[in-house]
Amino acid sequence: MKKIHIVVIVVIAVAIAAIMSTVADSSTYASFTVAQNNAGEEYHVVGKLNKEKEMIYNPEVNANLFSFYLEDNEGKELKVNYKGTKPQDFERSEQIVICGKIVGNEFEANKILMKCPSKYNTGQAGELPGNTAKP
Amino acid sequence: MNIQYVGEHLLIGNIGNLFIVISFVAAILSAMGYYFSAQNKLPSDSWQNIGRIAFRIHSLSVLGIIGTLFIIIFNHYFEYQYAWQHSSKALPVRYILSCFWEGQEGSFLLWTFWHIVLGNILIRYSGEWESSVMTVVSVVQIFLSSMLLGIYIFGYKLGSNPFLLLREHLDYANLPFVKISNYLETLDGRGLNPLLQNYWMTIHPPTLFLGFASTLVPFAYAIAGLWQKKYTEWLKPALPWTFFGVMILGTGILMGGAWAYEALSFGGFWAWDPVENASLVPWLTFVGGAHVMVIYKNKGQSLVTTFFLIFLTFIFILYSTFLTRSGILGDTSVHAFTDLGMSGQLLVYLLFFVFVSAFLLVKHYKHLPKEKDEDNITSREFWMFIGALVLLISAFQIIFTTSIPVINKVFGSNLAPPLNPIQHYNSWQVPFAIIISCLIAIGQYFNYKATDTKKFLSRLLISILVSIVISVIIMLSFNTFNGYFIALCFTSVFAILANLNYLFRILKGNIKKAGPSIAHIGFGMILLGSLISTSQSETISINTSSVDVSKLGKDFSNNDNLLLSLNDTLKMGKYFVTYKGKKKEGINVYYAIDYLEKDVNGKYKLSFTLNPLVQTNPRMGNIAEPDTRHFLQKDIYTHVTYAELEEENEESSNEFVEKNTQSLQIGDSLFATNSIVVLESLLKDVDRKKYNLNDSDIVVAAHLRITDINNKTYFADPLYVIDDNYVSPLDAKVEALGLKFSFTKIDIQTGKVEIKLFEKKSNKKEFIVMKAIIFPGINILWLGCFLMIIGSIVAIVNRLRARN
Repeated sequence: MKKIHIVVIVVIAVAIAAIMSTVADSSTYASFTVAQNNAGEEYHVVGKLNKEKEMIYNPEVNANLFSFYLEDNEGKELKVNYKGTKPQDFERSEQIVICGKIVGNEFEANKILMKCPSKYNTGQAGELPGNTAKP
Repeated sequence: MNIQYVGEHLLIGNIGNLFIVISFVAAILSAMGYYFSAQNKLPSDSWQNIGRIAFRIHSLSVLGIIGTLFIIIFNHYFEYQYAWQHSSKALPVRYILSCFWEGQEGSFLLWTFWHIVLGNILIRYSGEWESSVMTVVSVVQIFLSSMLLGIYIFGYKLGSNPFLLLREHLDYANLPFVKISNYLETLDGRGLNPLLQNYWMTIHPPTLFLGFASTLVPFAYAIAGLWQKKYTEWLKPALPWTFFGVMILGTGILMGGAWAYEALSFGGFWAWDPVENASLVPWLTFVGGAHVMVIYKNKGQSLVTTFFLIFLTFIFILYSTFLTRSGILGDTSVHAFTDLGMSGQLLVYLLFFVFVSAFLLVKHYKHLPKEKDEDNITSREFWMFIGALVLLISAFQIIFTTSIPVINKVFGSNLAPPLNPIQHYNSWQVPFAIIISCLIAIGQYFNYKATDTKKFLSRLLISILVSIVISVIIMLSFNTFNGYFIALCFTSVFAILANLNYLFRILKGNIKKAGPSIAHIGFGMILLGSLISTSQSETISINTSSVDVSKLGKDFSNNDNLLLSLNDTLKMGKYFVTYKGKKKEGINVYYAIDYLEKDVNGKYKLSFTLNPLVQTNPRMGNIAEPDTRHFLQKDIYTHVTYAELEEENEESSNEFVEKNTQSLQIGDSLFATNSIVVLESLLKDVDRKKYNLNDSDIVVAAHLRITDINNKTYFADPLYVIDDNYVSPLDAKVEALGLKFSFTKIDIQTGKVEIKLFEKKSNKKEFIVMKAIIFPGINILWLGCFLMIIGSIVAIVNRLRARN
């Protein structure tokens, strides 16, 4: 066996390991119901901000806690606690992706990504960086 | 219904459209001319002339398109959708260029522009390669020109036309104002995305696109080499281009990192964002390709790998174009383009070149010269080859995770990107970086296997020992003993020293041949700088609020943000910070934050002031931009994460808001935002006439003494009144301080009285929430970037000299 064959085998092995680690590390897009049934597991949840309900951010009390109500794509609504500051123009977001897990009856998010609409409703969304908090 | 629109400039759009059509047709003609010329293999023929002239016409019309679009944006012709969507009248002139490439059409134009520049250089200097190489360039130009056509063929939209009128654009044609004949008189554009209103965004995209464009040249040479059966001759002219491309693409990527570091709120220069990854991956394979090209030149080995990596690089460029422009990254990236309905066209563009390269490689595989003898494990080339493979796997790992949305689309799965992408990528890329830097170091000693082994080993040993000493010093100074940190720290220092050693010992400082060594030193410093600055970065804005956040869950301990009230001073790391107020300049609101240090006498001394800003943009949202203080050994990064921007209007700020209610004994005090209030005495003797009270009412007055910050004293006497068994207190105000007191209860048993304090809204202290991070050693990173660029330039010059 030539050395080059050994090298090729090693390369393939590492590549397979990389694929497996990606699958293992990847999260899942889920609804609140799924997240609640698997409390403690981390998920990505896509939903809309409920603008009727209050958004709580009192930096005087705790600058690192922002709470709001999110309605997921199945229509289920839950209170979300985000450990970070309230992102700029949060009210304007059209769609929100939160990453985190269920704790008790609430969702604990460590990351928020939001899509903001443009002024005219054209279906084109200009994106803003969410506060990508390092967990 | 026909509306006669007023004030539109339709001629210029028609000229632009004419240029688009000419550029597309000329690209086809040029490709045909060059193709037949290359097939005929005549040194100079009429087909080649056709190709050449057609390419020149193509070039001129691309310049025409760019000029026309520029005039439209510059003159604010908002009847054109592109100008309306990407610029506005208020936009400063220096950002006009950024508007140009904010949209997909403009960025395709930028890419096309670099292709025509490179194409014209090739026409002039590529000599016998002209026809075959230019065929490839022209075919690429056909694809790129078609992206601007904006015509419908069998119901499928081909390209997106930048000269489309707003009122004809599918998405906007139904807006009410475009039905008014003089709509232009009041129309303003929607403006440039605030993220792009930054000087980095005027230089980062052109550099990155030149990098993208420069991968085309080695690709075109490689295709031409197979096609013309000149399997090895193509390497020599392609090599300087490859070095050039590696340098420019690398610079473009690093500029993107610098932009993220200076202007975005990531808190770092690299976040493994899909868009960043999409340009890093072709760079990795390009670097691998450049190294195997050198191997072939020196030893005549690894030709197949060379073809493979050069093809892969260009294909990855097309793939990242597809990723970032098809809208497929949608939910996963913060700065991908939105979908313009061109994903099908982009996919055809990608698959066409995948097919052509695979077909040619398979077809000619058996003719390619193969190495006869076994690789010598002690040769430098063997380890360079291994290094190229490590780069390839590294690229594969990154692109695989980045492609999760594509995998979902193809297999219908529902994977989401890793919750902690930085950790995910680092767990793979740090070991790869360790191997690569180790190879860069050891490789320097392998070339000279002719020298006797003892001497060779002793030299190696010296470098290793010195590297260990330096790494231990770094480890001790940061007090870090993490395994990965130790390993990467050692190998990157080793890589730097080994190349320094090589530079002075073997090359004797001969600058002409020093290019690779300098570039490698730069690369080692980039690794070392990234390692130190990211792993040792320290968030100093630790929340000191007394609220117990642990009840929200064990993991809820993120307290990176600090609340800072106006003129308050808080301790932050070794600094004391004071928020001195805000200042509005145009669309930017600057926040002045003083950093103070205690000197030996315990006195506070101002070290520096930072002015992070919030760019207000009512349409696209406000953007916070950090400000960073640069020191030689570290940076202090400061970023406003939250601030109340809306000015309270006059009326609401005059409203009184209840602050607190306190039970007081005589002599007790309570605190308002701007003053101290003391209950001096309770008075029963009250001038009833003054307050319009009946003699039968029971009245007690609380005599309050209020002292403000400037020691000025005020008095207020709120009254407790019982009128026919109803308690109806009479409030007392201190207008100067915006305070109001209400005397609401008397507790007969304890003798305490209850006083309610109200304050005007305007009394509320202004505050910001901020984040501050120290990045140590980041200058090693920037110096490394600089050296890598210098080294590459030296290497290119040397290769060009060798050619002549």
